[in-house]
Amino acid sequence: MSWGATFRLALSSLLRRPARSGLTVLGVAVGSALLVALGSIASVAESRAVEHFGKGLPVGAIKVADDAPASWQLQTDDFQLAGHKDLNQDAIRQIRRLPNVRAVVPIQAAPVLVVPPSGDSFGATMAGTDLGLGADSPVSVLAGRLPAAASLTEVAVTQSYLDHTHPGRPPGAAVGEAIQVAEPRVEAPGSEVPFRPRWFRAKVVGVVSQDVAGADLLVPLQQTTAAREWELSGAAAPPGLRGEGSIRSPYSALIVIADSIDTMHGVRVGIDQIGFATSAPEHVLAAVLRYLHVVDIVLVGIGAIAVLLAGLNIANALLTAVRERRREIGVLKAIGARDRDVVRWFLLEATLLGFLGGVAGTLAGLLLAQALALKVSEYLTQQGIPIEALRLQDLPYAVVLLGVGGSWLLALLAAAVPALRAAKMPASEAMAEL
Amino acid sequence: MPSMASGPAGATTEEREVISVSGLSHAYASSGRTLLVLSEVQLQVRAGSYVALTGDSGEGKSTLLALLGGLQRAQGGELVVAGQDLRRLPSQQMARFRSRTIGFVFQHHCLVESLTALENAALAALINGVSRPEAVARARALLAQVGLLERAGHLPGRLSGGERQRVAVARAMVNRPALILADEPTGNLDERNAQRVMDLIEQLRHEYGATLLVVTHDSSLASRAATTLRLKEGRLEAA
Ligand SMILES: Nc1ncnc2c1ncn2[C@@H]1O[C@H](COP(=O)(O)OP(=O)(O)OP(=O)(O)O)[C@@H](O)[C@H]1O
Ligand SMILES: [Mg+2]
Repeated sequence: MSWGATFRLALSSLLRRPARSGLTVLGVAVGSALLVALGSIASVAESRAVEHFGKGLPVGAIKVADDAPASWQLQTDDFQLAGHKDLNQDAIRQIRRLPNVRAVVPIQAAPVLVVPPSGDSFGATMAGTDLGLGADSPVSVLAGRLPAAASLTEVAVTQSYLDHTHPGRPPGAAVGEAIQVAEPRVEAPGSEVPFRPRWFRAKVVGVVSQDVAGADLLVPLQQTTAAREWELSGAAAPPGLRGEGSIRSPYSALIVIADSIDTMHGVRVGIDQIGFATSAPEHVLAAVLRYLHVVDIVLVGIGAIAVLLAGLNIANALLTAVRERRREIGVLKAIGARDRDVVRWFLLEATLLGFLGGVAGTLAGLLLAQALALKVSEYLTQQGIPIEALRLQDLPYAVVLLGVGGSWLLALLAAAVPALRAAKMPASEAMAEL
Repeated sequence: MPSMASGPAGATTEEREVISVSGLSHAYASSGRTLLVLSEVQLQVRAGSYVALTGDSGEGKSTLLALLGGLQRAQGGELVVAGQDLRRLPSQQMARFRSRTIGFVFQHHCLVESLTALENAALAALINGVSRPEAVARARALLAQVGLLERAGHLPGRLSGGERQRVAVARAMVNRPALILADEPTGNLDERNAQRVMDLIEQLRHEYGATLLVVTHDSSLASRAATTLRLKEGRLEAA
């Protein structure tokens, strides 16, 4: 008996009992929809957690301070400082040579006075960094864009700037503002004034998501280099003025980006050995991922139970079908069908049920996951925690594959007993009395 | 007493015999007791003959037919049909034997309920390895012969008992079998329809030169056969 003929037989047998077939498919669909929805939510939650604890930095980012590390540095996620140590080109070169380092982004901080359009000036920190890094850039843009790579007239601002100038307003409100920035230089004792500022005018072109080295303004490295030269040309600064960004170190901080979360710890150990204090969310992330993993297991377990029930439902429907079709099976055998033709008939029927249910369920599951994620992100955004909604391209293909392939496989497994039972039916059933 | 049908069995006629049975016994085990249904049955049927088999209910007519058609395995004796030793045929080849050599018509409706009349008739040919276009062509021709061409697309559930039985006859003939085994093919039909179905079976048998063995309770149908045998207390005798 050809596959084609067997397929027609399987299909027509299913269509002959539309209600039962429909309900069986629905059962599979509900099961795989649950599995897919819960599976995708679990896996997206994981990548969102990684993003969240990275505080907007790329996955695997490590902050490096211009300080030596305390001996217990690696036991915590925060900086454990043990005295200033210059972050210079040599240190950067050594760190770049560590295995699994994807990028090293130097940061220079400078204390400045900012005059926003309102005129209420305030003391701020300006951070300069390499803005031409593209995908490896440690900053992400909330509104507008980054300053052009070498521009001396464009700045981006961070949340702390917004808190000063536009409390409670959306980030976009600051884009396009013209501001003035003053870099103070300490004058020699006995001068007419204790400080002399170097002013520059700039335009706010964008808002970035996080505080790079606690900064309010983000500018190209050229801007902070110029500021430093101005400062260094003055007298020594009185203590307490400059905060953490020491003028003596060529760079005030680095952001080192490891290949992945898994290699992050090794890179951090390497930097520790070179002799710098580091901060990375590795411990908190590990703990959160452990919790999420438990949640994963529970969610996928619930989905798996639903799919299992669907499988039992398939087995039950097919066993009923075998009982119903005793005579038909006998007749098929009487006219020459072999045992394996009968097995094929039932396996094809199960395939149709499992595949249809799996495809429908996977689609429904994806939509469900997206709808749920949309609701959650709407709620979080209302609560002032902007979080992106689930994007379809974020979804792990494994989950989709599991939804369709798993349902099909399960259907085949469920059909094994009914199919063998049907195959064992003697041909003489064709003659049995009703 | 062993009974011979269609002339004496002898070495010279053996090749022309489509059924050659000797010492055939069969028992069923039911509720701990064995029920001997056939004992030492002898039967020779020459190719092309028309034999009717009668007997009281429960005498084992259907059992004998199932053994001859390879639906069941015989327990004792010799059983050769169309040159195949059915006691020693592996089950794969038994299936092929049923497909190629035997055309079955059963009493109760025996169509696949989810397939149309045409598909039912063609299915037997498809199982036999005939290509789909050829199988469909044969099935259409036979449905035309049994007068059901315009019902070709109907499911069995929408056909009358007589029509279903005519479809079954068409299906039985689609592989041009050497031996037609019919178990009370008209048992569920009124007299007019019974006549019509028997006419068709006889006509097609004649056309294809097949041997026909028909089980019937109806003495007027039995009288249409050249030979009538009677199964009684596990043995065959001339009626
Ligand atoms: N699978 C079986 N298991 C046990 N006993 C069986 C089985 N099939 C048939 N029998 C018994 O074997 C005997 C012969 O049955 P069979 O169906 O061959 O008779 P029959 O002559 O065709 O009867 P009828 O005219 O009613 O169709 C009956 O007593 C029946 O109960
Ligand atoms: Mg019977």
